Amino acid sequence: MKLTGDVAASSTNTPTLTESGYLRDPEVLLMLRARDGDDAAFSELVSAYQDRLVNIFHHLVQSQEAAEDLAQEVFLRIYRARRGYVPTARFSTWLFRIANNLASNSRRDRGRRKEVNLAGSDASSGLLGPRPQEQLAVDKSAFMPTRQLDKREMQAIVQKALGTLNDRQRLALLLHKYEDLSYEDIADAMEMSTAAVKSLLSRARESLRVALEPYMQIGR
Amino acid sequence: MEKVSRLSQEQRDNLVAYLDGELEDNESQEIDRILARSDVARHEVEALSRAWDMLDLLPNSKATSDFTNRTMSTLRLEETPGDFTDHPWFLLARRGAVMTAWLAAIAACGVVGFLATWKWYPNPHQRMLEELPIIRQLDVYAEVDSIEFLDALHREGLFDGGSNDAPPTP
Repeated sequence: MKLTGDVAASSTNTPTLTESGYLRDPEVLLMLRARDGDDAAFSELVSAYQDRLVNIFHHLVQSQEAAEDLAQEVFLRIYRARRGYVPTARFSTWLFRIANNLASNSRRDRGRRKEVNLAGSDASSGLLGPRPQEQLAVDKSAFMPTRQLDKREMQAIVQKALGTLNDRQRLALLLHKYEDLSYEDIADAMEMSTAAVKSLLSRARESLRVALEPYMQIGR
Repeated sequence: MEKVSRLSQEQRDNLVAYLDGELEDNESQEIDRILARSDVARHEVEALSRAWDMLDLLPNSKATSDFTNRTMSTLRLEETPGDFTDHPWFLLARRGAVMTAWLAAIAACGVVGFLATWKWYPNPHQRMLEELPIIRQLDVYAEVDSIEFLDALHREGLFDGGSNDAPPTP
């Protein structure tokens, strides 16, 4: 992420050291500039995080359009809150906390719109098709992969494996994988304890291992 | 080498945290000892690592090229002071005004209707009600031959008082 070099110097309302211990974070300084009315600073933050947010949301909601809508909503909430911004955490922690809240809301909305397919396990009959765990189990039991799978097939398999996780597991995993957030940062973003994050990630990675183990040799 | 047939959940949690570099030193050393003596633990760690690496196969999505511009435009639009007609208080006031206007119109129609009826369609019995005293005495007045005679009696004060309905006898 490229940031302008004059971030600290251009701040018109430099906070005191007692206000925040996060002033070393260049993104916090950008956000403080945005607080003071500098839209260009906010635009830099948008550019810095747009791909990262869209990528994470895309893995959660499986739709580019929905992912961009959610990402835009994150920036909108931050922008609305900018005037009262006081840095009490790293900027990324705050941003991903908002992303987590939006992901939860999106989950609830999807849950309300869901039509449960009670008719059977026919993949083509229901709105949602078979549950990912069931489909993966069918795949695993139907055959052991005896041929090399191409990259697209492997992507689909990994995507399906990721789908076996619940939404919180998936988000924690994605934050850890793509954002390299520590357990503590993930706990901050997802408003959980560090011990809960440790347990969540352990179960997530265990589920992933179970789902992908038959394909591990093929994927090499 | 000792074979540990099953790892506890806590040990599994610690294996993942070990891979993520999230354990304290003493906990890491404990995992090192487990890995040194347990085939199961080593297999688990290897499988966990490989599954983790397979996530690199996932495609990376990116925002469209105009995302920043669209977002900033949307944000600026949010800041534009809206037309006051969009405000909830205005909508409520407008609804109240419309209802009041309807009620006033209905009341006005009622008043106009009443007045029209009263003026252009008078009570046919109104005149009779006004002349009721005369009508009551009609039999008596029919005995009087002329109006001049009545005037003469009136000038003499014959009709000035008393509740007696019968005319004074000459």
